[in-house]
Amino acid sequence: MTSDTPLDFGDPADLDQLRRRFRAWLADHPLPERRPDEPVPVFLHRWHRLLHSGGWVGLDVPQEYGGQGLSALHQVAISDELGACRAPGVPRIGYLAHALLEFGSEEQRRRLLPRMLAGDDVWCQGFSEPGAGSDLAGMTTSADRHEGQDGQADYYTVRGQKLWTSYAQYSGLCLLLARTDRSGPPHRSISAFILPLDREGVTVRPLRAANGDDEFCELFLDDVRIEASERIGAEGDGWPLAMTTVSYERNALDTGHLSKYGLLVERLRHAARDRRGELPDGLLGEIGRCFVDYEVLLAHARRRTAERLAGKEAGPESSIDKLLMTRTEQRLYETALKVFPEELFAEGGEVFGDYLYSRAASVYGGTSQIQRNIIAKRVLRLPSGG
Amino acid sequence: MLRTFATRFRVGSAAVKPSDRAAAQKALGELGLAELRRTSPPAATVQECALLAEEHGRQPLTTSLLGTVLLAPELLRLLGEDAPPDQGTTPTIALARDLRFPGLRSSGLVAWDCEGADSALCVAPDGTVTAVEPGPPAPSADLLRALRSVPPGSPSRTVGRLDAATHQRWQAYALVIVSSELVGAARSFVQQSVEYASERRQYGREIGSFQAVQHLLADATVLVEACTSATRYAAWCLDNEPPARALTAARVAKAEVNGSVLEAVQTGMQVFGGIAQTWEHVAHLYLRKVLLGATTLATTTDLLTILAEPEAEAA
Repeated sequence: MTSDTPLDFGDPADLDQLRRRFRAWLADHPLPERRPDEPVPVFLHRWHRLLHSGGWVGLDVPQEYGGQGLSALHQVAISDELGACRAPGVPRIGYLAHALLEFGSEEQRRRLLPRMLAGDDVWCQGFSEPGAGSDLAGMTTSADRHEGQDGQADYYTVRGQKLWTSYAQYSGLCLLLARTDRSGPPHRSISAFILPLDREGVTVRPLRAANGDDEFCELFLDDVRIEASERIGAEGDGWPLAMTTVSYERNALDTGHLSKYGLLVERLRHAARDRRGELPDGLLGEIGRCFVDYEVLLAHARRRTAERLAGKEAGPESSIDKLLMTRTEQRLYETALKVFPEELFAEGGEVFGDYLYSRAASVYGGTSQIQRNIIAKRVLRLPSGG
Repeated sequence: MLRTFATRFRVGSAAVKPSDRAAAQKALGELGLAELRRTSPPAATVQECALLAEEHGRQPLTTSLLGTVLLAPELLRLLGEDAPPDQGTTPTIALARDLRFPGLRSSGLVAWDCEGADSALCVAPDGTVTAVEPGPPAPSADLLRALRSVPPGSPSRTVGRLDAATHQRWQAYALVIVSSELVGAARSFVQQSVEYASERRQYGREIGSFQAVQHLLADATVLVEACTSATRYAAWCLDNEPPARALTAARVAKAEVNGSVLEAVQTGMQVFGGIAQTWEHVAHLYLRKVLLGATTLATTTDLLTILAEPEAEAA
């Protein structure tokens, strides 16, 4: 599992130049202001389009699909620069792009990827269901096949319900998983589709989360017709596609969380210095621990990137990455509330909102318990239960 | 090469004869690794040396790879022209009696990892390097690593001085090398406990098939991977980044390693169950090594206190 050859943790040679070019662009393109009544996703979408107009979205996507053909590290450098000037991050579409890159047809990639990167299409992800969260294989949304005269699939009729679909109310397209074979083994009977959300039979209902946000939605699918040409990959490719997607979703580099953590860690360390003697010793140690967590996660993400550049595919090891990311995020916000207790007595405190969101880190993308199962079975190859 | 050596000279239990220790050290000496960091520019990168230290940690070995092969020669190299000619001596490094970096008020020193060493180099907080003579063997909980006390007032001789940046580089290097050996030990012991869990049967099935055991081993694996990433990155920083940045990365690595290798080894022992509580089993050799390793050079409290505040701006 671990190579014992030296790795290159360094930045690509052209990274400094990229950063300088980006800073120059930022200087010419002031951050847009969020209008008072503007929903966050709408504001972020405006930002997405502006970033794309400068060529700063999809840096790690090949050029023929609208990207820049660079590496994940280049995209992370952009995230870092944005974080440093407290701008919103890059749009979180990396994992969707990778799903299309690996499983989409050439036609789908050429048609959909450039629009995704440009923000012309806003995507959401329809994986989880009320009865299938961490146990994704237990999904019951079905796609019944209708065959044309040639015996090939013509179209599908989809019925079911999806849950935790982030920002579906602001999205135009959904990467949907549904069962195309009700009797087969789950890992070979799930297929992936591109579903336009304005199609007849689709109902989107936002759900209010514990932090007050309406990010998560329910998606009701009542006899929705999806064309065979809207299927991604072959029938049964849905499971490997989902596994690839969540592998990318579990890597801190791909999700752009790192810059956000880094900013808060520095805020905590400055508080430690400015309030020296005021903060109890124990809390000082906790702040030090947050910095260690963050730096370890950064080193770990760099190691993964170096391994990926050396040709290693994202696999079950991503469960290790997810647990490290969760540890970092949850400890960080717990500590932040102790350093800034006033957050508990203010309305709409940002740190408090993020703290509530951090509690979901050990649930979304597969609970921490599921990640441990994956490590035990697929990384350590421990025997399965009798 | 080191792996073959380690397989041949690893100790099977806590009872090691002094003559076996000497023979193993002699065999290690014959591998000629001490030259790796002695020449300028060095023949091996820090990352390569860190991987060697990791490998050395994997087996219960009594040999001084860290003190006499990787650390003292690098210190002499960093001293540059100040360093005296070697004159056929084999130095290791000297630490405070509690195994931390030597402090201002030196309340006594030990020659650390001193198997086969005849002197010890002490780096004072101001960068002054002195050579001291090791005295009688000193007991410690780690049965593998040899220590000798340096009696107060024993002869010492100044050999040179590290400037501020070189001193940072030295500290970072020492932290990385010590951390790497601990990571190797934890990784190897967790691997052994995974293998044991796949074979040992209770209640009619392998204990590794129980989810409670699986989650223990998964958590230990996450800790080992975190330590590995942090330590290898810190080693890379020493090869590629300015000393201040390398020192921060090394402190981060040691802070992660201190807590995580101990927890990982204790978890592995829990999986081994009763057998790991015996004198004959290797488990306590690993436990003793990581327990003392976690206090060597810098404790978690030392490191977290420093890391809690932003690095001072370069003057």
